[in-house]
Amino acid sequence: SSFKDDLSASPQLFTPMSPYDVDLPIQTTEDVLFGSQFNQPRELPTDFSVDLSFLPDITQDNREQNLSEDGHEMQKELDGSISRNEESSIFMDENSLSYPDATQPSPEASGVCPPLTPMTPMTPVTPASESSGIVPQLQNIVSTVNLACKLDLKNIALHARNAEYNPKRFAAVIMRIREPRTTALIFSSGKMVCTGAKSEEQSRLAARKYARVVQKLGFPAKFLDFKIQNMVGSCDVRFPIRLEGLVLTHQQFSSYEPELFPGLIYRMVKPRIVLLIFVSGKVVLTGAKERSEIYEAFENIYPILKGFKKAS
Amino acid sequence: MAARGSCPGCGSAALVEDAHYAQQQLVCASCGCVLAEGLLTTTYAEEEHLQGVAYSQSTGQKEQLSRCVKRGVRRVQDLCKVLQLPTIFEETAVSYFQRALQHPSFHLASLEKKELLGGCCVFVTCRQHNWPLMIGTICSLLYAKQELFASVYLSLQKELGLSVPALSLEDLVKTHLNSFQLFQHTADIPAPFLEDKEKMVARTMQIVELASETWLVTGRHPVPIVMAAAFLSWQSLQPTARLTCTFARFCKLAGVDLPPPAHLRLKELLEILLRMASQLAWLRVFNMNKKTVVKHIGDLLQHRIFLLKTAFCLEDEEEQRAVAPGEGCPGSPPAAGGAAQEQGCPSEGKRQREGGPRPLLPPCLLNPRKRLRTAALSASDSAITGDEPISDSEIEQYLRGPEEIRAFRKAKAWL
Repeated sequence: SSFKDDLSASPQLFTPMSPYDVDLPIQTTEDVLFGSQFNQPRELPTDFSVDLSFLPDITQDNREQNLSEDGHEMQKELDGSISRNEESSIFMDENSLSYPDATQPSPEASGVCPPLTPMTPMTPVTPASESSGIVPQLQNIVSTVNLACKLDLKNIALHARNAEYNPKRFAAVIMRIREPRTTALIFSSGKMVCTGAKSEEQSRLAARKYARVVQKLGFPAKFLDFKIQNMVGSCDVRFPIRLEGLVLTHQQFSSYEPELFPGLIYRMVKPRIVLLIFVSGKVVLTGAKERSEIYEAFENIYPILKGFKKAS
Repeated sequence: MAARGSCPGCGSAALVEDAHYAQQQLVCASCGCVLAEGLLTTTYAEEEHLQGVAYSQSTGQKEQLSRCVKRGVRRVQDLCKVLQLPTIFEETAVSYFQRALQHPSFHLASLEKKELLGGCCVFVTCRQHNWPLMIGTICSLLYAKQELFASVYLSLQKELGLSVPALSLEDLVKTHLNSFQLFQHTADIPAPFLEDKEKMVARTMQIVELASETWLVTGRHPVPIVMAAAFLSWQSLQPTARLTCTFARFCKLAGVDLPPPAHLRLKELLEILLRMASQLAWLRVFNMNKKTVVKHIGDLLQHRIFLLKTAFCLEDEEEQRAVAPGEGCPGSPPAAGGAAQEQGCPSEGKRQREGGPRPLLPPCLLNPRKRLRTAALSASDSAITGDEPISDSEIEQYLRGPEEIRAFRKAKAWL
């Protein structure tokens, strides 16, 4: 076809690998297992070894009570994600075995969270209280994937409609797709960052679509080491918050500088999440690698914020 | 100690190594003739061969400060002198600076950032001693962009684990009003505009506290609020002469800059005061507007606790009212006594006329900006597994056809 002719005309870095084949090469077993987690959340064994001391006390009675309230969905999410936590820790080991020299791909990828020592100050213990009934909404997911082949960015920018490439400004191709509405940064090393998705599954689907585009452009792209690097969520507690009071009582976690930024920056230790708290009651949570961390962080902060509701 | 060789003077073999005021000398024990003197270098084996010791091999490098650190420390000291800070501040700031430079994130930072780092250390020291230094002041001294200063400041706080107490509005008011030039008689200030500093500071403080209670301060830059409060307090101390003076003119007379948000703060403050005035019995007969309410600021401040309760309903009251509509206005907690409750009920009755007590909320909640809210994930979106098959046609829509490529190439060449 004429498309193939054009490919052979421009200098190739490697031979194209039948670009019209059906689907991506087999994903690693971890990916498949990870994918299935979302379809069938496992039933949790009653005694699990994960440390839940930070959660408000949920006894058997409490849990049944919660199931009937709005907290129901969230409880299920927490359970599902705790099992996911167990699985993902196993994945880490397998991943490191297969790709010992896989480095962090992009400038946006945040470092891995260091293990907590018991001496680090914990968020102050809150008295047992009912769940807030508010579920933070995910707004943005940042993920990375390794296409495992060198890419000719000029070539990609020429042959793809949805790509922009300005090497003087930034050393990567910026590509966008409409569904799921996301943006990707594709580097010449073959590493890719995908941003803008509203859920982990959407992010994965979008990353696969970008990889398919790159494949169709004639590069032997694979889909390795897909990893969610950052998740951002937001919600509204529906009452105003006295930020000056909060920074006084939680000084070691908070930073409130109205000259610099109107919100209070709260660095929660467990889970390691940064919260932006505003006077209007809107809260932004960021820095999570798992959805459960966002829900957990919000459940930790909600009783603290409620304590400032009546302080005026 | 005996040494080899013979003395050129007397030929004796009794040579001794002795120190003369810490300088090693080789002396003949019998006649006292000095054969050799020690060399004044740091001692290494090469000294015997009369080779200089390289700086990198000597101990000097570890003892001296690097040029970068020295320059930075000097800059910090200069800043402290310019700001006329006590010497103890200087020592603390210098120690923070030296500690910070040891961290890799600052050691390898650009020179621009290192300069800001010095300013940040001074700023943190001032804050920790409750010295109301503003970020704007430091940035103008360093000719720095506020965003860059913010990032350096936040990373400094994180790296050194410093806890910086919040800015005290009280100190800020005092310091800011100190720079006003309305307290002493000068040529360009008309007599009725002169004011007593203590009175103005006290009243400004009260207005700022009122603003803080009514959610005008949280999340906002503090200086415009202080400016608006100072203007109102100055006007209210002699309303007849000063009502005609505009905010801008007031700032020019005082010799202070007028920050742009100050007009909005002034508007918000006046709105709060008008609401309070509507609850004051002897003011209800007058038709209050933004100008006339200034005359009564003194009274309003005197009764502010009571007026705030009646003019604005707190969130709890709203809930209680929703729960038990038949009880009328439950008012403030029972400890406040029957007086508040009685006052509360007539205000309930007036609800229809005045539009009722407004809830006490921050302005961003009272006037929400219409923003495009992204809808929550729809049902179809949340059913995505991430493993769906991807159709060829969908991918091909993103690829250019050959004619398109030729046209694009031509266009690019032309550009």
